[in-house]
Amino acid sequence: MTSEVTTKQAGAEPEPPPQQRKQRREFVNALFRFQSLFGLVAVFVVAVVFSPRHNGELLFLNADNLANVVRAMSEIGIMAVGMTFVILVGGIDLSVGAVLGLAAVGSAVLMVNDDFGVVATVVIVLAIGLFFGFLQGMASALFGIQAFIVTLAGMQIARGLARIWSGGQGVAIAYGDGPGEAPVTFSLLGERTFNGIVPIPALIFAVVAVVAIVFLRTSAFARHVYAIGGNEKAARLSGVPVTRVKVIVFCICGFLAALAGIVHAGQLNQGSPNDGFGYELDAIAAVVIGGTSLMGGRGSVVGTVAGALLLGVLNNFLGLHGVDPNVQLLVKGLVIVVAAGLQRLRPTV
Amino acid sequence: MDNAVNPLVEMIGISKSYGGVRACRDIDLTVRAGEVHALLGENGAGKSTLMKILSGDVTDYDGTVSIGGAPVRFAAPADAQRAGVAMIHQELDLVPGLTVAENIFLGRELRTRLRTVDRRRTNQVTRGLLERCGVALDPRRPVGELRTGEQQLVTIAKALSLDAKVLIMDEPTSALSPVEVEQMFTVISELRRAGVGIVYISHRMDEIGRIADRATVLRNGSVVAGFDTRDMTAEAAAEAMVGRPVQAMFRTRDVDPGEEVLRVTGLALTPRRERSGRREPDGISLAVRRGEIVGVGGLLGSGRTELLETLYGAGSAGTLRGEILFRGRPFHPRGARQSLRAGMALVPEDRRIAGLSLEHSVAANTVLSIVDRIATAGFVPRARETGAVRRITAELKVKLGSIGDAVGTLSGGNQQKVVFGRMLLTEPVLLLLDEPTRGVDVGAKAEIYQLLGEAAQQGIGVLLASSELAELVGVCDRVVVLSGGRSVRELDTRQAGEADLLAASMGEGSAALAVEGGENA
Ligand SMILES: Nc1ncnc2c1ncn2[C@@H]1O[C@H](COP(=O)(O)OP(=O)(O)OP(=O)(O)O)[C@@H](O)[C@H]1O
Ligand SMILES: [Mg+2]
Repeated sequence: MTSEVTTKQAGAEPEPPPQQRKQRREFVNALFRFQSLFGLVAVFVVAVVFSPRHNGELLFLNADNLANVVRAMSEIGIMAVGMTFVILVGGIDLSVGAVLGLAAVGSAVLMVNDDFGVVATVVIVLAIGLFFGFLQGMASALFGIQAFIVTLAGMQIARGLARIWSGGQGVAIAYGDGPGEAPVTFSLLGERTFNGIVPIPALIFAVVAVVAIVFLRTSAFARHVYAIGGNEKAARLSGVPVTRVKVIVFCICGFLAALAGIVHAGQLNQGSPNDGFGYELDAIAAVVIGGTSLMGGRGSVVGTVAGALLLGVLNNFLGLHGVDPNVQLLVKGLVIVVAAGLQRLRPTV
Repeated sequence: MDNAVNPLVEMIGISKSYGGVRACRDIDLTVRAGEVHALLGENGAGKSTLMKILSGDVTDYDGTVSIGGAPVRFAAPADAQRAGVAMIHQELDLVPGLTVAENIFLGRELRTRLRTVDRRRTNQVTRGLLERCGVALDPRRPVGELRTGEQQLVTIAKALSLDAKVLIMDEPTSALSPVEVEQMFTVISELRRAGVGIVYISHRMDEIGRIADRATVLRNGSVVAGFDTRDMTAEAAAEAMVGRPVQAMFRTRDVDPGEEVLRVTGLALTPRRERSGRREPDGISLAVRRGEIVGVGGLLGSGRTELLETLYGAGSAGTLRGEILFRGRPFHPRGARQSLRAGMALVPEDRRIAGLSLEHSVAANTVLSIVDRIATAGFVPRARETGAVRRITAELKVKLGSIGDAVGTLSGGNQQKVVFGRMLLTEPVLLLLDEPTRGVDVGAKAEIYQLLGEAAQQGIGVLLASSELAELVGVCDRVVVLSGGRSVRELDTRQAGEADLLAASMGEGSAALAVEGGENA
């Protein structure tokens, strides 16, 4: 019996046409990829529907209020864009809040105490941020120390430098032409443009975001970034300059944190060494809500921008209703958990 | 006629779907006590899925499973183990941070009277187990440090330690070289005599004929043929698997080797930091000419992978001695990027670990090595990218839905072709291949061999490291045999066969070399 060769035809049962199946899979994937966009729309709708009213006007939709939402979020947003790059290669940067503080202090001190012009100040401060990122990137990539640890140390160092540089106190920025006064141009950062509608910081955020989105979609460098996050060993063997890419990514992140610091100083008209305290967590939250995987290799700046705006709308909405700030924290925490949980449901390969 | 005792394992009408993919359709399978039952089929045919059902790993299926005549429905692998079913998984399931012994006794640690883990006894028992498999491995070494083949041996030892009645071996030899395979076959014979029923999955057809009593062939999740291996030919089995006659696996090529592209003389590496388990080059000499396929043979741990990595600049850091001439000029390996620029490409050993980013698209994986070459001012033109991907995937006949699909959704053979294609896109003159057909089914294997032949025909020199004798003898023009990091023998495959190669690998090679040297003198 066993020596007999039996052959039967493979059964040919009907299956859903592959085309249809694939479309469905792609659709589900898109849902998850842009979860923060949908989340943003949802939160926005809720904010509109439940907006407090004043003389029949929806306070949330008031132009000033909306401008405030984006203005308030622009610093976190700018940082979160840089953070997206770092997280895409599988790293993390805990120092961005402290670098923001350092940059804010630097802006104030350079203009007020050292009489630097706006251009020189901005260039120097951005260079400091970039260099700071460079050092962290080198320490992490070249010596193989985990980014978490390197930037944890970097956070302390940046904070310390900011304290030393400012003498431990906030440096107020007064505008004028005299000595000890900052050029008036710098105060533009606190203003609005386009008929007084769009806050300048939001404009800067938008420019940063658009550049980053285009860059991450089309550049060869971005391919390397994703490849490293996806499988670092494979990327290295495929000729990706892993160390260089990682260092550059930290440079980008430090640079953008410094840019956020300049914006911060311009809005508050001062630079204090405690500025940006805890901002790194908001930036990471924006990235996570935006659907970027902390393991690296998967995510987008579009998601991050939506994630940042979602946090902004949420803050504003809760603020309008006078919700206790501590409860606001709770809500924010829940949103992060839900966002991260949703990513777990995302179909993987 | 079946009035014998109940078969040990009886699976009836097993079906299992993953989303829209029907991995198993109405499969019947029996395994008797004391037999080795081979399960054959292409990549994705459903072999592993069927066995995961038997071993309690996949719990959500249709159909019935009986062990020793009693219907069972396992809720977890632990249930199956209690019922005497153990499985060696294809994707090795070891914890890298734990030692060999800790891995083997994971979840059933040996305790002292104080209920603490008894390390001494654990190590002792493990040593015994490993010896039984003929492996000299320190039970205290972390598994993460081991080579793939060594890890495979650890999983085998682990399965043996369970004293199972039913042992499922899912591609247990894919990273083993002949001597370890031999050793394992001895163990299997012992088990068979002891009445254990064994299910054996392998893409190495020669093993099936030697070790199996019966074979069942799956295609697209269905049973399409059953054989008694005494009267099964490799061709018939391959045809049943693929569903059409398979082209000849190996073809003779007219080699017309061109100039020398690589010459290595007395290559040795002293690593800056000793890494245990690595056999760095310690006196290797060989040459590859354009259009030639040169094999690198030797046992597990003979230093094949280390040789390729060292040449490519991806090995351990340290001081190199000896000489590497690449394209006629001295070559100092500095890293993958520089090697690729110079025209040397590597297809690494384990595509899932070192080759691919599984969740990224076929396109992204394929062009990774040339994105900065095809970019203008740093930006990648879509058209040029998709053009390159379409061309190479068509050339290599990669089976895929769309180039935007995640590469992890492809079958093993097609994943391998993607890595291969990525390297071909860099237009190398020397291709280093490390176990290019590991876990790849017969059909895809034949295609990969053909592609290799074509690459060589176009003037690429190929250095192919493999643990499969048939592959080395069938594909290569010459084979350099390594032992302990040294090149001990070189065989011309027109004269030498598998037996010679095996003998050379096992150390008789060095004696033979001495004799040859003597003749020359
Ligand atoms: N966890 C899973 N989720 C979705 N699909 C799966 C899963 N596991 C297997 N499949 C699919 O089921 C089919 C059968 O896969 P299986 O792993 O059983 O094949 P195989 O015969 O073992 O192949 P190979 O020789 O490559 O190991 C394939 O199409 C595979 O893609
Ligand atoms: Mg399998």
